[in-house]
Order: sequence, then C-alpha cells, then structure tokens
Amino acid sequence: MTLILNDMTPWHWAVGGAAIGVFVVVLQFVANRSFGISTGFESLCALGSRAVYFQRKALHGPIRWRLWFFMGLLLGGVLSAVTSGGWSPSWELGRFDEWISASPWVKTAWMVAGGFLIGFGTRLAGGCTSGHGIFGVATLQKASFVAVASFMAAGILAANLFYRLGGAG
Amino acid sequence: MKKLMSRVLFVIAGTVFGVILSRSGAADFDFIQSMFLFEDIQLYGILAVAVAVAMPGLWLLKRGNRSVTGEPLKYKTRVLHRGTVVGGILFGVGWAMTGMCPGPIIVNLGEGKWVACGALVGALLGAYTMGRLYPSLRRPLDLPPID
Repeated sequence: MTLILNDMTPWHWAVGGAAIGVFVVVLQFVANRSFGISTGFESLCALGSRAVYFQRKALHGPIRWRLWFFMGLLLGGVLSAVTSGGWSPSWELGRFDEWISASPWVKTAWMVAGGFLIGFGTRLAGGCTSGHGIFGVATLQKASFVAVASFMAAGILAANLFYRLGGAG
Repeated sequence: MKKLMSRVLFVIAGTVFGVILSRSGAADFDFIQSMFLFEDIQLYGILAVAVAVAMPGLWLLKRGNRSVTGEPLKYKTRVLHRGTVVGGILFGVGWAMTGMCPGPIIVNLGEGKWVACGALVGALLGAYTMGRLYPSLRRPLDLPPID
C-alpha cells in the first residue's frame, strides 16, 4: 500500500510511532504543554466569536500555542509534498473514488458533514486521537480510555458500513 | 522577543509534526480506512508505539516535575462525563467519513488535498456549534462548568 500523496511508501510504523512519542515528551518537557490538537479549533473560533464558551479565560491563556502549531502543520504538509515529487493539488480521494465516483461538490459536502462531526465530537469529548488517544492513554487517564473506545468503535462501524455493506470492495 | 521566539518554535514544532503525520500514513485517507477495516497494521502500530514511547517518558517527567526551564510541569487532566462517550462516537463517524482526525485535516490542506478545505470548514462549524450549545448540553450530559 502506498500513500495518496505522490504514491510514496510510508515510513515503517515503528519509526512514525516513535517520532510521535518522542515529540509528545519533548513538547511537555521543553514547552510545558500537554499534547492535544483539537482544542486548536476552539482557539480559532475564539478569534471570531463572542459566545461565553469561547471567551472563557482558559482559552485566551497559554493554550493559544496551537494557532502557531497549526501554521506549522500546514507548512509541514507543503514541505512533505514538495520534497517527495512536488506539490500538485488534487481532489483525489483513494478508496472513496472507487466507492462512489463523486464530483468535487459532492466530496466537499461529504467532508463538511464529516468535519462537523469531528469538530463537534472532539470538543464535546474533550480531545481527539492526540489528546485522548496518545497523551491521555499514555498518562493512564480514565476519560481517555473511554473516549478511545468510543471513537474507535464508531469509526470501525462506520467504515464497515460504507465500504463493506455499502458495496465497495 | 521571548514571545516571538516561542511562536517561531511552535511553528517549527508544527512543521515537524506535520511531516511526521504526512509521511507515516496518519494523514492518508486510505490508511485510515484500512485501519478501521482491519486490513493493515500501519496505524495501529503507530498509535501503539507512540503510546509505548510517551508513557515512560511522561512518567519520568512527572517524577522530576520540572520542565526544561525549571518550572513545575502543567499536565492536562481530562474529566470523564457523558459527553466523552457521545462526543467520541460522533468524532469516530466523522473520522471514518473524512479519513482525517484534527491534525491531519490541516496537514492534508498543506499537502494540496482540496477535500481538506471542506473538512476544516466543517470542523470549525462543529466546534463553534458545540461551544454555542454547551450551556444547554451541560445538564443532560453532565459536563463541567465553563471555567
């Protein structure tokens, strides 16, 4: 199996996993920030919303680092493409294209709907794959084990519904 | 000056992390689906090794309780409530639909995958809606007060 991006062979999982693990520890030690990404969506909302939830004190303190981190994630994606055969934007979506050959509009609608569930769900659950799945589990927090069980079970069910029962091989 | 420095460092940290996600398959639609469909070990391997490396590292840091500058460590603790389960389920469905969790949405955008634009707009709308509904969700889902 290769990546959709420039048809690359991915790093071995042990390399990727070790890199992420070291990153989480260094972030805590050097920057004194606990790893977690989805709170950044709230920091972005806080830039434009005066709702009580987004004006709470905690959201305007040191957790705003994610705004800068997000810029880096964007650059990282660009860098990864540029150094592996070039940055050539596309609508390609691998398995989804084999399942339904959809127009960019349909794909966008699907993505907005899925994205909505991600934004709403992660903020309600208090974290995503990074904050609950890696940081929370690595620090043995009960809420994180419950969150991971919930999102993995739902993801497994949903993907099987789309790609097995839904008729795509 | 110090503030600028830390901002630059966070941008660099994000870039490094973005490259890791991009090159390991964690930001790849097909690899995410093959994880959920139990066809490939890649993503399970990544998560397991990441936790296995972070766990002893964070445990040692906690014991020393000092960051590199000598200040006490600030650890994020997470509260368990009904929203953990409900939110987790919604997120899981969204993850399977888009093939992206929050970090990879931004990374995919950088890689030039146009579909990520929709996912980002959706995620911001979703987070915004959650924030607006939070006061009314608090009681039924047993959520902590807004601090």
